[in-house]
Amino acid sequence: MRSSLVRQALILAALALVPGLGQAIYFRDRVSWRSPIPASEMVTVTQARAWGENAIWIDARPDEEFARDHVPGALSLNEDRWNELLPQFLAAWSPEKKVVVYCGSEGCNASREVARRLRKEAQLPNVFVIEGGWEEWLKTRK
Amino acid sequence: MKRTLEPGPHLSPLPEGEENAQRPVRVASRIVWRIVDVIIGGIFIYAGAIKVLDPVQFATDIDNYKILPWTISVGLAFYLPWLEMFCGLALILRRLYLGGLSILTALVAVFLVATIAAKVRGLDITCGCFGHASQNWNFPTHLALDLAILGALLALSVRVLPGNRLQNAV
Repeated sequence: MRSSLVRQALILAALALVPGLGQAIYFRDRVSWRSPIPASEMVTVTQARAWGENAIWIDARPDEEFARDHVPGALSLNEDRWNELLPQFLAAWSPEKKVVVYCGSEGCNASREVARRLRKEAQLPNVFVIEGGWEEWLKTRK
Repeated sequence: MKRTLEPGPHLSPLPEGEENAQRPVRVASRIVWRIVDVIIGGIFIYAGAIKVLDPVQFATDIDNYKILPWTISVGLAFYLPWLEMFCGLALILRRLYLGGLSILTALVAVFLVATIAAKVRGLDITCGCFGHASQNWNFPTHLALDLAILGALLALSVRVLPGNRLQNAV
């Protein structure tokens, strides 16, 4: 039974490889194998600060964390209340401004998701994600 | 006095009446297990199909666990959905059944451990198991669903173990 199990598992693993490889070739120009976010879409806190008034800061963390503390002037835009908060953000946005999104830390995903949705759904250009998020901001503030 | 070895009750064939009485139970049991096969197989085909449509998003979901390098996450994002679908099909069609069952059990077990480890490490993760449909699920929901699927897969595995009287699949 064990040899039959291994043989069957290997057959299935090999079968799945065929369309998987085909899809990887088909998508070769649409995904980077080097980095999850292209380097051009990541910025450091220092870089984003240097943009001054030309940047809108977006806090992608949950409401309670935003209420506790946030980057001065930042607007809250999280996925929990996306439909409610997006119009408020769009009212403050203008085409010449860069959008800088952050979440809790390097390990969080909310800023990437919000940035992705702003690019895809709201069709906004110049959307960046802060390296290290809020934790990095706190370090540079000190 | 010479002792003769007599077959015990577990070795003796069932009387014909008892055999007939048990037949509907066995048929019903077989139908129930087939339904479980189809449901579990269907879940994996659905989950795989959703991820095949957006491999970049799935790569991001794998990367969120912060266990593997991005390059491997991308490779897995192209490969795992197809593996899930083939294994799901194996359960439904009962071809390469044991292989499909063992791969899916291993996948769900690894995924469960990774999910719990991510939670312990305080990572804010998107599961990605069912694409965007599962994005707003909370941790207990993920855990409950994964445990239910793992339980069903283990039950199916126990059923096809050698020696089990209910075994009827290879």
